[in-house]
Amino acid sequence: MPSLAEVGQLVVNGVMAGTILAVPAIGLTAIYAVLRFPNFALASHATIGAFAGYVANAKLGLPLLPSVAMAFVVAGGVGVVSDETVLKRFRPAGYVTTAIASIALTIALENVLRFIFGNELRGYDLPIQRDFRIGAIRVGPQQLDNLAIAGVAMAALFGFLAFTRTGKAMRAVADNPMLAAIKGIDADTIARVVNFVGMGLAGLGGMLIGLDTTIDPLTGFRSILSVFAAAVVGGLGSIPGALVGALTVGVGEELCLLFLSPDYRSAVGFVAILLVLTLRPRGILGQRAF
Amino acid sequence: MPQTPREPRRRFLASAGALALGGLAPALVRAQGEALQLGVLTPLTGAGGFDGPRMAKAMQAVIDEVNGNGGLLGRKIVLVVEDGQTNPEAAVRAARKLIDVTKVPAIMGTWASAVTSAVAPLCWESKTFLTTVSGADSITKLPHQGYLIRTQPNNHLQAGKHAEFIASMGVKRCFMMSIQAPFAQPTQSRATEVLKEKGSQMVGTLIYDKDKTTYRSEVDQALRANPDLIYLNGYAPDVTILLRDLYRAGYGGKRFAQSYAVTTKVLDSLPHEVTEGVITVQPSADVTSPAYELAKKRLGVAEPDSYETQATDWASLVSLAIAKAKTPTGTGIRDSVRSICQGSGQKVYSAVEGLKLLAQGKDINYEGASGPCDFTEIGDITDCKFRYNKVENGKFVLLKVA
Amino acid sequence: MENYLIAMCVSAGIYALMALGVNVVWGFAGMVNLGLVGFFAVGAYASALLTIKAHWAIAGGMAAATIVAALVGAVVALITVRLRGDYLAIVTLGFAETIRIVASNAIWLTNGTDGLSGIPGPGRGTLSPEMFNLVYLAIVGVIVAIAYVMNERLRASPFGRVLRAIRDDEQVAAVAGKHVTLFKVKAFAISSAALGLAGALYAHYTSYIAPDIFVPLLTLYIKLALLAGGLGNDRGAIVGAFAVVFLLESTRFVIPYVPGITPVQGAAIREFLIAAFLLVMLRYKPTGLVPEQPTRLPVPPAPRYQPTA
Repeated sequence: MPSLAEVGQLVVNGVMAGTILAVPAIGLTAIYAVLRFPNFALASHATIGAFAGYVANAKLGLPLLPSVAMAFVVAGGVGVVSDETVLKRFRPAGYVTTAIASIALTIALENVLRFIFGNELRGYDLPIQRDFRIGAIRVGPQQLDNLAIAGVAMAALFGFLAFTRTGKAMRAVADNPMLAAIKGIDADTIARVVNFVGMGLAGLGGMLIGLDTTIDPLTGFRSILSVFAAAVVGGLGSIPGALVGALTVGVGEELCLLFLSPDYRSAVGFVAILLVLTLRPRGILGQRAF
Repeated sequence: MPQTPREPRRRFLASAGALALGGLAPALVRAQGEALQLGVLTPLTGAGGFDGPRMAKAMQAVIDEVNGNGGLLGRKIVLVVEDGQTNPEAAVRAARKLIDVTKVPAIMGTWASAVTSAVAPLCWESKTFLTTVSGADSITKLPHQGYLIRTQPNNHLQAGKHAEFIASMGVKRCFMMSIQAPFAQPTQSRATEVLKEKGSQMVGTLIYDKDKTTYRSEVDQALRANPDLIYLNGYAPDVTILLRDLYRAGYGGKRFAQSYAVTTKVLDSLPHEVTEGVITVQPSADVTSPAYELAKKRLGVAEPDSYETQATDWASLVSLAIAKAKTPTGTGIRDSVRSICQGSGQKVYSAVEGLKLLAQGKDINYEGASGPCDFTEIGDITDCKFRYNKVENGKFVLLKVA
Repeated sequence: MENYLIAMCVSAGIYALMALGVNVVWGFAGMVNLGLVGFFAVGAYASALLTIKAHWAIAGGMAAATIVAALVGAVVALITVRLRGDYLAIVTLGFAETIRIVASNAIWLTNGTDGLSGIPGPGRGTLSPEMFNLVYLAIVGVIVAIAYVMNERLRASPFGRVLRAIRDDEQVAAVAGKHVTLFKVKAFAISSAALGLAGALYAHYTSYIAPDIFVPLLTLYIKLALLAGGLGNDRGAIVGAFAVVFLLESTRFVIPYVPGITPVQGAAIREFLIAAFLLVMLRYKPTGLVPEQPTRLPVPPAPRYQPTA
């Protein structure tokens, strides 16, 4: 019988893993809310963010926060360019074609990184801190940093959507594209903004993942299925949903260790998807954007 | 109406045809040239992408040396590198190309056990020689008619020797964390057995999933068993995460890993305090192995890891076997490989040295950078010592060879 | 060289069979199955296990693989039938990954990540490798031809017409009294049957299967084959499958001519080229290499809804 502390530790670990997943998942769901297709290119943009942060931190010697900002900006910028030059042209052909084009795009970008950086594993030039204990529960200061960064990024996004003109316009497009067009909101501008923000978040998430794992051309790819699981469980297109979904998947994957051997962990995300979608075909929070 | 869509189709087919001719024709011309072509099939993309390039580089270094000393059978050697993509389906297509188009006598470098098992039947059916690092015990038991050798010690040999070493360090409680791979189960059971014989104990094992961002809960599970050594039986990407998570958890005991999972590059990517004291293991010939020293110089690497040394040995063994057979065929390599790497001939430690002696009509016995390179009937190495390094301040320090 | 080309034709033929199968659910019924490699895996494992462990004849194994995959397809369809398109895509993707994880861990049955080797092939060992290849090409060719004819007949049948009606507007089909769920489940089962048979063909051809083979990349190739060939079009599916294999293979021969690159950079260029060509193919052939032909005389299109002035 697992002790309460053990379960508590698993929940804490799950929340930490989930928060990291939440950042790219929110990016994914934001893009989906406005452009209406699951953008698999998120994987390579997360990797681009991890590498941008790496260049800023390990090569240029910048500290953590400016490196994180760099990850956001570079991935966001690449996101806008890759959408303008590639994915935008596929959108009239429907969401399936666009989604599949985004897979091809992500392979192309991954290999641009591979060409430049090679496959070697890299790491940030940041010290690693020991965990501390609160009672019987072990907590990592770095995970708390990640939690804070993720939290601030999400809060900033909410603020942006709630209080700025562009943010409101984005919500309008997400809720009702037709009506938004009639109101004279420029869909192209909104698409660029949402790509910048969405892929920027993917890049930021990629850097956070890189902090815990390794930086190589597959950094984003390794986590993409969990990110998708998070967004789908929460309800594709719903930003709070992505957060809820990421926490559900994160905690679910950890708690399953009580019953299953760790090598089944990846399957849990998908079982969670099936369970949630069987009960709620549009995810926990449905698809309303906000 | 049907006219418009047909036009682009024709254009597509025409350009596709042009691409085909442009691509294939020169390849045919090249095949008739002077150079002796050998196949390399390492993973350059996918999960094995971290290890494949190092192996390709190590083989190229040996071949460059041979070419610089007059080549092989009077011909220059060219390595034709294909990407196995760490995917059996893609690797089979790549192997087909090497076998049927480039017509190589040998393919060197398959990494994942699944890729080796998929490619091996093509090799023995077409009489092409295959060299691999794949660890799954099943591989050498395939009906390969001698067309396969493996320089990686099999699980039984490795796990047994590693466990002996671990027990000899006075470790009483060992825990093994393995990535989900064919070597996980057999290594666990053999190590458990030997630890017990030697008065130590395996206090627990777990198999973890690859591609996770953190292994905190797995680490917790391991620490609950209160081990004084944790054997991290995985690859570089996941072992890196495990080392970090173990450090964060405040684990102060010993950590033990394969040299290919904790390489010089991995040490560079992690803070020194995280890797301090990690013990790595790789097969080796002896403490003062001239072949290992030569590999260091050739590669410009302080401590070549297990994959780099094995790749060094493949290129050397295949070159020497071709020279001995006097003909660049897979069957020639198969029939002569054991006559250049084992027996009573004069010991040699590099391909160039061996080629010189062979040219003088002498018998040789190649002793490799990854071990003595003596093979059983089924292509496994008969025995080898292991080189144990310890990480101190971000650098490897030799612990012992046993 | 010939042997290589024949082998690639076998690969392309297996891809074509998969593309034909997927066409039934995607092209005809408009359902997106991103987990097709999972059904391919089910077929491959079913036939391999039955022929190795139960010593069935190869033909028996293949037939069983077809049926088992169809059943699994029906079950998956029943679970997912209520889901909207993009959710279905992700759930099926998850299904395929779950199959792979189970195949990796259920060692007692599938031999885990070690894989199953020594799967028998028709005449393997007695025929020369070249002859074996040719015989197998003939087998695959015949099966693809049969699948093609069946798909074409299915398309023209009332069943196929209902599927396309569901694709174009599910509600209209339901209002017209069609049991939409039943049709979808049947379509999924037919499609999965073809995928399972393709898996069995693959297993008996290469003699070895392992979980690592059944990765999402293969799904992508088939989807791209179908899109490139023209979704819903059976000739296009076959042409597209050959085009994709051609693309995968031809890029190999280009890389040696790029000077001054490391092997990793060569591999990166190759994968980049494949992805870029696929994008170009998709972009400039929105209707595919072979556009969908109407099966009956075109009916004058219903006037679109126009807002009254």
